[in-house]
Amino acid sequence: MIKEFFSSLLHYFVNITTAVLIVTAIYLTISEQQMDSVILWEILLSGLITALPSAFLVCLDIRNGRILLLLWIAHFLLIFIITLLLINIFGWYKITAISAMLTFLAVVFIYLFTCIVHYIVDMKHAALMNKQLKQRYPKK
Amino acid sequence: MKIIIESPHPDEEDVIIVRCASPDQQLISMLLTFQNSNTELIGYLDNKIVRLNYRDVYYFEANENRIFAYCHSDVYEIKYKLYELEEQFSSLDFARCSKSMIVNLEKIEYLSPLFSGKMEAHLKNGENVVISRQYIRSLKNRLGV
Repeated sequence: MIKEFFSSLLHYFVNITTAVLIVTAIYLTISEQQMDSVILWEILLSGLITALPSAFLVCLDIRNGRILLLLWIAHFLLIFIITLLLINIFGWYKITAISAMLTFLAVVFIYLFTCIVHYIVDMKHAALMNKQLKQRYPKK
Repeated sequence: MKIIIESPHPDEEDVIIVRCASPDQQLISMLLTFQNSNTELIGYLDNKIVRLNYRDVYYFEANENRIFAYCHSDVYEIKYKLYELEEQFSSLDFARCSKSMIVNLEKIEYLSPLFSGKMEAHLKNGENVVISRQYIRSLKNRLGV
């Protein structure tokens, strides 16, 4: 369980950080702003903090589909709130209605990016496992 | 070392012949384990007591302190603990897929990923069982992935 948690944490950290870097690069290019090098550490820290609830959630063995859906929605909202708090703490920009909306879109992008990357990797693993199953138990 | 499996004639009994220079302790222990292994299952369905072949079982599930063996269409109660079944059948084609379930790998049609990081095993009888994230790694190892 602990091994699984840290393995998931590492995967989510890498994926989230990559997605945050993409969003930051797009934002800096469009706004033609320059930022201090400390932002790199802040991105790494925000990647780690937001990866924690994600790794915790996937380690839970919940079989009820409805409860799982509710947990994923709560998880998304938690990530959004954490992101707003981090923006405020790091002073990346002032929180207004428009910036909160843009942050929401950025979180949606990062969330989808992470889910899709995980799904693609899992699909690859499932294909390999299916190949092994076919070899081991050929159809009679 | 070669492993040769031959089909006997229709009227012949199944037999294991070991051809080696000197049988060591590991080999003897393995053969004794095989000979003494108890793969017989007694299932209870309503008022009937049925002798089950483990190969017919699609999966075992623990539900409210009771264990059930799911076959193609029937569900039998089994008087075993889940961990006992896991110990008994892990050397065969059974693998733990969640805290409350042991699945027969031979009965899996195919596997597909779920968005929650889990996997779904689509069984040959049309049923689907969820493989928890924590058991996916051991299943991958079992399949040599």
